[in-house]
Amino acid sequence: MTKNNRLGRWLSNGGIRTGRYSRVIQRAGREAERFREMTDAELTRAAESLLGDPRRERDRLVDFVALGREAAERAVGLRPFDVQLTGALWMMAGTVVEMDTGEGKTLAGALAASGFALRGRSVHVVSVNDYLARRDAEWMGPLYELLGVSVGWIGAESTPDERREAYSRRVVYGSVSEFGFDVLRDNLCTDPDELVTGDVDVALVDEADSVLVDEARVPLILAGSVETGTALERVTEVVSRLRPGRHYRVDEAGRDVHLTRAGERAVEKAYGGIDLYDADQNGAVLTEVNLALHARALLRRDVDYIVRDGRVELVDASRGRVAKLQRWPDGLQAAVEAKEAVAATDSGEVLDTVSVQGLIQRYPMLCGMTGTAMPAEEQFRRFYNLSVVPLPPNRPCVRDDEPDRFYQTAEDRDEAVVAHIVERHETGQPILIGTLDVAESQRLADRLTEAGVGCVVLNAKNDADEAKVIASAGRLGAVTVSTQIAGRGTDIRLGGPDGTEHDEVVALGGLHVVGTGHHSSKRVDDQLRGRAGRQGDPGSSVFFASLEDDLITRHVPGLSGPGDLDGRITSPRVAVRAAHAQRIAEGLNLDQHSLTWQYHRLLEHQRTLVVEERDRLLHTDAAVDRFREAAPDGFEELSAQVSETELARAARLVWLHQIDRHWVDHLAVLADLRETIHLRVLGRQRPVDEFHREAIRAFQPLISRAEAAAVETMESVTVRDDRIDVAAAGVARPSATWTYLVTDNPFGTALERDMRGMRSRFGGGNADDADD
Amino acid sequence: MLTAFFSAFRTPDLRKKILFTLFILALYRLGAQLPSPGVSYANVQACLDANTADSGVFSLLNLFSGGALLQLSVFALGIMPYITASIILQLLTVVIPRLEQLKKEGPPGQAKITQYTRYLTLGLAVLQASGYIALARSGTLFGPACPTTGTQAIIPDTSTLDNGLPMWVTLTVLVTVMTAGTAMIMWFGELITDRGVGNGMSVLIFASIAAQLPGQIWGIKEDTNNWLLFGAIIAVGIAIIALVVFIEQSQRRIPVQYAKRMVGRRMYGGTSTYIPLKVNQAGVIPVIFGSSLLYIPTLITQFYANETDPPGWVVWLNTYLVNPGNWVYTVVYFFLIIGFTYFYISINFNPNEVAENMKKAGGFIPGVRPGKPTSQYLSWILERLTLPGALYLAVIAILPNLAILAFGGSEVFAQFPFGGTAVLIMVGVGLESVKQIESQLMQRNYEGFLR
Repeated sequence: MTKNNRLGRWLSNGGIRTGRYSRVIQRAGREAERFREMTDAELTRAAESLLGDPRRERDRLVDFVALGREAAERAVGLRPFDVQLTGALWMMAGTVVEMDTGEGKTLAGALAASGFALRGRSVHVVSVNDYLARRDAEWMGPLYELLGVSVGWIGAESTPDERREAYSRRVVYGSVSEFGFDVLRDNLCTDPDELVTGDVDVALVDEADSVLVDEARVPLILAGSVETGTALERVTEVVSRLRPGRHYRVDEAGRDVHLTRAGERAVEKAYGGIDLYDADQNGAVLTEVNLALHARALLRRDVDYIVRDGRVELVDASRGRVAKLQRWPDGLQAAVEAKEAVAATDSGEVLDTVSVQGLIQRYPMLCGMTGTAMPAEEQFRRFYNLSVVPLPPNRPCVRDDEPDRFYQTAEDRDEAVVAHIVERHETGQPILIGTLDVAESQRLADRLTEAGVGCVVLNAKNDADEAKVIASAGRLGAVTVSTQIAGRGTDIRLGGPDGTEHDEVVALGGLHVVGTGHHSSKRVDDQLRGRAGRQGDPGSSVFFASLEDDLITRHVPGLSGPGDLDGRITSPRVAVRAAHAQRIAEGLNLDQHSLTWQYHRLLEHQRTLVVEERDRLLHTDAAVDRFREAAPDGFEELSAQVSETELARAARLVWLHQIDRHWVDHLAVLADLRETIHLRVLGRQRPVDEFHREAIRAFQPLISRAEAAAVETMESVTVRDDRIDVAAAGVARPSATWTYLVTDNPFGTALERDMRGMRSRFGGGNADDADD
Repeated sequence: MLTAFFSAFRTPDLRKKILFTLFILALYRLGAQLPSPGVSYANVQACLDANTADSGVFSLLNLFSGGALLQLSVFALGIMPYITASIILQLLTVVIPRLEQLKKEGPPGQAKITQYTRYLTLGLAVLQASGYIALARSGTLFGPACPTTGTQAIIPDTSTLDNGLPMWVTLTVLVTVMTAGTAMIMWFGELITDRGVGNGMSVLIFASIAAQLPGQIWGIKEDTNNWLLFGAIIAVGIAIIALVVFIEQSQRRIPVQYAKRMVGRRMYGGTSTYIPLKVNQAGVIPVIFGSSLLYIPTLITQFYANETDPPGWVVWLNTYLVNPGNWVYTVVYFFLIIGFTYFYISINFNPNEVAENMKKAGGFIPGVRPGKPTSQYLSWILERLTLPGALYLAVIAILPNLAILAFGGSEVFAQFPFGGTAVLIMVGVGLESVKQIESQLMQRNYEGFLR
C-alpha cells in the first residue's frame, strides 16, 4: 500500500504525468489558424461535429483544444493558457487537478465540462455555494453557447420548474447541497411528473477538497416539521441559575458539559423533588436539562451562531458564513432559541439523509479542481478513488510567506497583530486579515479603529456586501478584516476592480495577508494565504498565533516557551509542536470522515433498495397489483365503487406513504443506535459490525411491514364522490419540508472520541483477543 | 451462519477475498513445513519421534507457529516476533513522547508506528532465530534425547565433509532465512488484513493451531488403537467446542439510556442500547499467564536435569509441579487461572472510567444515578459475572490434565486437542472471522437475505 502510494506521489510530482498532454496542446497551436478564420456559426458546427467524428481520440482532443481556446477568446474575452487547457484535459481524464489560486480554474472547468458535453455526456458542475454556481454559469454562458452546449444553474431559490429546466441542460451548475437536496426531494415524490433530476453522469467538483473532504463529514438531511410540543422556557430558566464549576462542569476540550452532583440536586429541587434518573421518567427532563446546558455552556454567541432578525443562525466554522440551511439537530436548536429568547422555529424530523460521499459516488465519472489538492490526496484516493495531478502555475508564485509568529497569550498576540497592521498600513499596502470567528473579527476591527486604522469588516453578519467588499480589498490602503468567508473562491484584484491603482500596489509589495490564528487544517490556512500572490503578482502572508489558541490548548495542552517582553516566543520547538497540533486536528477530522462513511455506507445501500422499490411503485401499477394479491376482497369492494385509474392512484399514494413512513422510522432507529453503539467495545465487539448487524435486522422487515400497513390502510379507506379519500386515512405528505445539514454533530464527535479512548483502554474489540 | 458462508461464495467480491486468504494460508503452511537450509530434516523427524514428551513453554510457542518451531522450518519463528514487537511499541507509546505524538496524529502517525513495528520485528527475529538455533544445538529445545553432535545432530556440522560449508556460514544462512521467513509472515498477515478476510495475524494463529488438530487426533488413535475411544474423543471434542462457542457468545446486557437528543416521536423501544458484558470478559489471556507461570518450575528443574542426586525440593517440584498429569499441578493451574482472570478483569475493565464516560456523554442506566452509584452497580454485576467466567476458563484449560488423570499417564493426552489454550484461541478467532465475513456480506450485498 505505502509503496504504491509513494510511487504514485513520486510519479505525479515527478512531472511525468503532467507532461502527457503537452503534445496535444502543441498540435492544437498549429491547428489554431484553421479555427480562427471560422465564423461563430461555423465554430459551433465544428464543435457539434466532434461527437460523431470518426477520427482517433487524440486527433479529436487536438481539435477540441484549438476550438476551446478560440471560443473562450471570442466568447468571454479570455485566452486560456496552456496550463488551463492541460487542466481541462486532465479533468476529462477523471482526475483532481491542483491549480494555484488565481490561475483561472473557472475557465478550465468550463472547458472540461464542455469537453464532456461534446462527447455526448451530461455534466453537473458542483460548487461550494450558490453564489459561485450562478456566477460561473452566467460568466461562462457565452462560451458554452458558442460551443453549442446548453447550460443551466440551480440555487436555493429555484422553483421546481426552473430546476427541471436546468437539469435538462447538458451542463448544470449548482452547490453540492442543492444537488443533494434535489435527490432527496425526488425520493419523496408521489407523482412521476414532480421529479426534477434526471440520470447522473459526470460530476465536476470545484474546490474539490472543500466539497469532497471538509463537507463530507456532514451528511445532508431532508427534514419535515413535527410538533414536539415541548416548551423549553422553564428548563432554560432553571439552567440559567446554575453556576459553572459548582453545578456543572465543562471538559477541557470544550466539547462536553455535565451536571455535578450539586447541579443534579439543584435541578431536582427546582422541579419539585423528582428523580432525574428514575427509570419511569424515561429521561425526559434530563434530556431537556442536558440540551439547555449544552446551549448555555458550550455554544457561544457570535462564534457558533449569530442572532439576526430575531432568528438564531448558525455560522459554518470552516467557511465563516451563515449556514442558512443548517440547524442543530434533535432539540438543540430549540434550546438555543430558548436561551436567546427568540421565537421557537419548527422542530424537524429526519425524512431522508445522504452523505456527500454517497451522493458523489452515484456519478459514474468524477473529476475536480482546487488550489489545495495535494494535502488531501490521501483522502481523495481512499474515499473517492481519485488521483491528483498538480499543475505548475502559469506564472510562478512570488508570494513571500513569512514564518509564523507565536505569542504567550492571546492578548500579546492581538497587540502584535494590531501593531503589525498599523506599521504595514502606513505604507499604503492593502491588507487582508483572516480571523477565526465572527466575534474575533469584530473585536479586532474595534481595536484597529481605536488605533486609527480605518477598516472594513466582512463576516457572516454582513455577507450581503461580500462582492463589494472583496472588489475593493485590493485598493491602495485597504484594510479588510474577514472571517474564513474570504478564504476561498474569492479573487482579490490588486488596485481595485478596474485595476487603476495596480502599479502602485505592486510597487508596495501587493496584497498582504495576515492570519490571526491557525485553522484546524493546513489546507484552509493555505487557501487564506492564496488570496495574495495571484497570477504571479507580488504578495506576502504571515500568521500570528498564541499558546492560548483553541488548536493548541486542545491538542497539545501544557505547551509553554520562553517569551520576550512582548510575549513573543522564538523557540523553534513551539513552532514544531504547533504544527503537530494542527496535524492532530487533521487526523481527527480524517477519522471522523472515515467513521461517517463507515456508518453511512450501509444506510446508502438500504436507501438504494428503498428507492428502487419506490421507483417501481411510482412508475408502474405495482401498488394496485399487490393490493389485489394481498386483499382480493378489499380490492373487489373498492373496484366496484371507483374507476381503475382512481384505485391505482390511491394505492400508489398509500403504498408510497407507508414506505416513506417506515423509512423515516428506520432512520430514527439508526440514529438512536448510532449514538450508543460505541458501548459494544466493552463487550469486545467491533461497533461498526454490531451497527451493521442491528441495522440490517431492523431493515429486513421494512418493506413487508410497509406493505402490510398499506394493505390495512387500503381496507379502511372511504369513498367519496368516486374518489378514494386517502387523506382521511392518514396519508399526508409532511406539511412543510425544509432541508438542512446537520452541523458538525456536537454529540457525535464526543462519542467518537470516547470510543477511541475505550478502544485503546480496553485493548480493542477486534481480533487482538487472540494475540495480545 | 452457514447461509452466510454460501452467500459469501456467491458474492464475487467476497469470494475473491476468501480465496485469497486461503491461498496465503496455503503458502504459510508450505513455509512452515519447508526445512531451513542446514537443518537435517531426517534427524529432526527422528528426534521428534523419539521425544514425544511435552517440552514446556516451547510447546506453546510451537503451537503458535503451527509446529514449525520444532521442525526448524523457514517459518520457525512464526508471528511471535511481530506480536512481541507490537506489544513493545504499544508499551513504548506510553513512555516515549515522540511515539505518543505520532499516535495522536491519527492515520498518518499510525502508519509510521506500524513502520517502526516492522523494523523492530526484524530485530527481534534475528535475536530469536539466533536464540533458537543455539538452543537447538545445545539440545535444550528438543530435550536430552537428541544428539547434539555428530551426523545425527539437528544441524550437522558439514565443514569436515568434502564440499561442506564452514559452520558459521550454515548458521548465518539459517538465521537469515528464519528472519526472512518472519518478514514474509508479517507481509502475509498484512495482506490478509488488507485484501482478505479477518485480522491477518489472528487468522495465521488460527491456521497454525488448526493445522495440528488432525495429526493430534490421529495420534490418539495410533497410540491407543481403540476406535471407540477415538470416536468418544471426537464427540467430546465437538461438545467442548460447542460449549466454548456458546459461552464466548454469552453476555449480560445492561440497559443504557442517553438523554441528549429530543426526537419527535419515539415509537420504538431502545432495546439495542446496552453495555454488553461478556461472561468471559478476560478472553484467553489468563490461561496464557497461568501456563507461563507454571513453566517456571520446569525451567528450574532443568538446571538439575543432569544431576544424579538433586536436592529434595527439586524432586518435589518434579513430582508435583512439572508433571501435568499430577493432581497438584492440575489444582495449582486451576487456581492460577481463576486468580489471573480476576486480576486481568480488574485492570481491563474499569467501572469508574465507564461510568465517567457515560456521564460525560449524557448516558445513564435507568434507575441508577450517574457517577459513583453507576460504577458501584457495574462493579457489582461484574463481580457476579467474573466467577462463572473464571471457572469456565479454568475448566476448559485443565481438560487435558483431567484426561491424563482419568485415563492414566498416557502421554498422548498431554496433546489433548480439544482443551486448553488451543480451543479457546481457535474458537475466538473463528467467531471473529465469521463475524467479519458476515459483516462485509451485509455491507455489500445482502439482497439474498432480503428477498
